[in-house]
Amino acid sequence: MVGRRMLVLGVVLLQLAFVARGYWSDHKEFAFQMFPESSTWRADVVRVTDDGRRVPVEAAWSGYRWDELVRDRGLSYPGVRHHADAGLDNQLAFLEAALDWVADNTPRDAQTRYLEARVTFWDNADPPEVEVLRSRVREGSG
Amino acid sequence: MNAAAVGGPSAAVRGLTARVDDLLGRSVSMRTLALLRMLAGPAVLLHLQPFLSDALDGRIYRDAFYEPYAAWYPELPHALYVGLLGLAAVAAVAMSLGLLTRLATAMTFTIVAYNLFLSTTHFHNNRAYLVIVLGLLAVAPCGRELSVDAWLRRRRRRPALETSAPAWPLWLLRFECAAVYGASGLSKLLDPDWFGGTVTWQRVVRARDQLDAWPIPDWAVSALTDRGFHTGAAKMIVLTELLIAVGLWSRRTRYAAVWLAVVFHLTIEASASVQVFSYLGIAVLVIWAVPCTRDRVLRIDPTARAHRSWATVVRALDWLGRFRVEHGPPGSRLEVVDRDGTAVRGAPAAAFALSRLPLTAWFALPALLLPAVRRAR
Repeated sequence: MVGRRMLVLGVVLLQLAFVARGYWSDHKEFAFQMFPESSTWRADVVRVTDDGRRVPVEAAWSGYRWDELVRDRGLSYPGVRHHADAGLDNQLAFLEAALDWVADNTPRDAQTRYLEARVTFWDNADPPEVEVLRSRVREGSG
Repeated sequence: MNAAAVGGPSAAVRGLTARVDDLLGRSVSMRTLALLRMLAGPAVLLHLQPFLSDALDGRIYRDAFYEPYAAWYPELPHALYVGLLGLAAVAAVAMSLGLLTRLATAMTFTIVAYNLFLSTTHFHNNRAYLVIVLGLLAVAPCGRELSVDAWLRRRRRRPALETSAPAWPLWLLRFECAAVYGASGLSKLLDPDWFGGTVTWQRVVRARDQLDAWPIPDWAVSALTDRGFHTGAAKMIVLTELLIAVGLWSRRTRYAAVWLAVVFHLTIEASASVQVFSYLGIAVLVIWAVPCTRDRVLRIDPTARAHRSWATVVRALDWLGRFRVEHGPPGSRLEVVDRDGTAVRGAPAAAFALSRLPLTAWFALPALLLPAVRRAR
């Protein structure tokens, strides 16, 4: 009986903790904040090469295509202005993680030093703001 | 300070603990969870469809950007992962049918949860809700009725298993259900942009092209894109979510809350892409039915064809096992006796019966507000 009581109490407290955590975490797991914002965003994503060139990822490179490498969470076509479905924090966290993933998972690319996204976002009705995100510097580059 | 005053708070805590224990341990019908189990299977299949579709094309999650929650989380070889998804689909069908129910439900829950936590990119609120529902179905003995397992027992002339069980999984699921609406409503209430109408207004204005394609008159489009409209509409949305979250807990307001929740989910489904959330949200509402069965009586005149038709309809649609169908004297009117002994006859009885059947409840509940039906009760 005590075990049952503790189990139920534990689940209730855990759920309430997740709801509270949703107010500061990027991904808001189990916080059930539906349709949180009308914010939108777009980004110019480039590969910065060892010789300093900035090449848009819309152009295929070393047999890779951005929209095949990044297919989820509205990130396939970053140059197009999108709704941030689960909020801006969530969207920017995903974009930053995607830059790292692409940097780490394109072994045929011997030129790119890092990837960079110049993100313009509109937080609900606020004027646009700009933020620059960068991937990790790739091992073996330079 | 006297002894009673000193013992007061601890006695109150003991009393509260005893009440909680009674509530959690009380044996109640698992019928609502059995019905939800059947309805959850299609939700799982819908949820798995994009994963399976990708797998059939030779792609899985890690062939493109994904982000593990933890480095230690086990990842399977390609073929094994695809096999696991297939197994989840088979288990979901078995769960719905009630074949090896406990095993099938536990397997469905385990695989769906495993898949959800493989990557942050897999996470969506509707999937989280699905995992919670599956987890609580897996711990509840909800396969003893409305199942192939129960049918096989009957066929083998083995005694039926007890269809009642301790109520705690049901209470937890009710809490989670209310938490979904409550958390969503609260987050909007606390956000000035949401509560003030900015968020909904901007969403509608940006979707103006889609709105123009809908078969709605120009004045409605003008109203929907008007900033002032959203100042009030946003508050209505927030209030609706919070009313549902609170209203579900009281028997006096429960039917209204369920009715409102169905409208809410259908509106969302019509206006946004929310994967399995609408279907699952409506399906879970069955858990708010009082967890006891056959505690109402539908009394018919067996010589009247219309009454026999009513009995057939009620038997076919009474998925929650609300009614016992009994025969009254020839020439008697159709009668429904509620669990408190109140008897209703004629057309109001028909409306009342329909309001207690899952498939027709949403349509019939407003009829209970009609003066003639209210007087009859």
